[in-house]
Amino acid sequence: MRLSLSRRVRGWFKALIHSRRFSQSWMGKNLSMIQLMELDACTHCGMCTSHCSVAIAFEGIPNINILPSEKLASIKALASGRPLEEREIKDLQEGVTLCTNCYRCTVVCPVGIDLQSFWIKVRELLLQRGIPELSVLSPLSFYRGLMKDETAQGDYEKPLTQAREAIASQCDLLRNKDKILPVTSADRRLQNGLNLSAQAKTFSACFGCQTCTTVCPVVGNYEHPQETLGLLPHQIMQAAGLGLRDLAFGSSMLWDCLTCYQCQEQCPQGVWVTDVLYELKNLAVKYVKEKAL
Amino acid sequence: MKFALFLGCQIPIRLKQYETSSRAILERLGVGLVDIEEFNCCGYPLRNIEFKAFLLSSARNLALAEKKKLDVMTLCQCCYGSLKKASVLLKENASLRKEVNAILEREGLPYEGEVEVKHLLYVLHQEVGVEAIKKNISKTFKGLKIAAHYGCHALRPSQVVRFDDPVAPSIFDQLVEATGAESISWPMRLECCGAPLWGINDELSMDLTLKKLNNGKESGAEYLCVACPYCHLQFDAVQKKIIVQRGMNHPLPSILYPQLLGLSLGMDGEVLGLKMNQIPCSGIEKLLIEPAGMPTG
Repeated sequence: MRLSLSRRVRGWFKALIHSRRFSQSWMGKNLSMIQLMELDACTHCGMCTSHCSVAIAFEGIPNINILPSEKLASIKALASGRPLEEREIKDLQEGVTLCTNCYRCTVVCPVGIDLQSFWIKVRELLLQRGIPELSVLSPLSFYRGLMKDETAQGDYEKPLTQAREAIASQCDLLRNKDKILPVTSADRRLQNGLNLSAQAKTFSACFGCQTCTTVCPVVGNYEHPQETLGLLPHQIMQAAGLGLRDLAFGSSMLWDCLTCYQCQEQCPQGVWVTDVLYELKNLAVKYVKEKAL
Repeated sequence: MKFALFLGCQIPIRLKQYETSSRAILERLGVGLVDIEEFNCCGYPLRNIEFKAFLLSSARNLALAEKKKLDVMTLCQCCYGSLKKASVLLKENASLRKEVNAILEREGLPYEGEVEVKHLLYVLHQEVGVEAIKKNISKTFKGLKIAAHYGCHALRPSQVVRFDDPVAPSIFDQLVEATGAESISWPMRLECCGAPLWGINDELSMDLTLKKLNNGKESGAEYLCVACPYCHLQFDAVQKKIIVQRGMNHPLPSILYPQLLGLSLGMDGEVLGLKMNQIPCSGIEKLLIEPAGMPTG
């Protein structure tokens, strides 16, 4: 089946390769010959999407590029040399990043396209283009880390640095430390936003005993933790209480949290510290995304 | 005793030996497994990004198991933590359940909140039982010192997971000792393996992993024993990178619990995929003895 389809595809492929617009396109220069052929082998049957591990996430994050079959269609458009708007590139970049690298799409593809390798290749290409992608700051990057020897050191670090910088650039208070705060600065939107799982509201019970910070293995890893991490866990709880969004979102602590739940387990006030940090991350991703529009 | 086996995204592609060894020991111990092909990601890696995407992912899996009237058994502690968190949320919070079901019902998968989520270690300890395991053992380890690594998302948040005593857990130690090995006490046994930051902040991740490895070695351990793909990959594939980058002297190899137990049940190292672990751990087989006076097989 694979062979006969390849034969069918050869004609289209030849035409594609010979079109000047394609060979000059950015994607055309960056994909291997076999991958270019594979692009045209896709019959859009939807098998990959029906087996995709994260397809259901589309219901929470409405980006059609999360679905493998649609992702491939976008890549096809990109490879054909049609100039894509920044918005489209961003969506595709998010789509290829929101992937657990489980290889199920590759396994089930009836025409034998190695879809997973496609996502990895296109992800790396897009991430180097300078548009920050916040979802790299999640355990989805675990596999990227395992495969880091296949990426040049600078290229490997770039998307991670870029994502952190994109957050920091929206957090004025962290950069401008002498800024005087009005007494009524509480950002109610931040406090009201911490209600996704109801537990996150517990931040208001924090009385600043610092137990969370004392037991945190990340804090314990540094001699001067604030220099590296910004606000420490108990301070983030208080920043949430005061509605100081910039300080909460922009602290490295938020993104360097292991989610090991030591803090939450030991909080004498019943603050669901780790869950508050999770929700703050969700709010920060949303905030930075909206700001960038 | 029958469960829907939840493998997650890592095991089938990156840690096949965890699946094969688990299936082998569970079959021997009479635990039935049902595979549900439609299972998707547990939602764990999405939790940093979007709460609803996480909750929906977990909820869909729970609904699939509920439809087959099965409880879920996970081999991964991060899957365990996520599915457990979602199951508790959906049980306690009617409005969240309604919101999630509005989407799941389109697929004919409403979730009523009836599924229990259990981890492999919990099933072995609470449902099979240590005594029943001991009855099946044909070879025991002698003079083997194991550092049991519990894993964060199995233990905490204890209010949600209810796996074991979060401060002084013992079920993993008991399971290790059922094989005749000594489960050592080590100060950092309840700390994180470092995997959640691998790929996000590698230097910090390596710092934490290295501390734990050193602590295990200083406490006399010859092997780490784990029951989570993330922990194992961190202590195996990532430890290999740490050895190169941080100039570590000698490694502390990691063995998956079903591999350890499998050897003790008389299974072949090949079947258990010992050679698939990146840091060699085949040496452990030399420490097996057949106890005198005990029936073998």
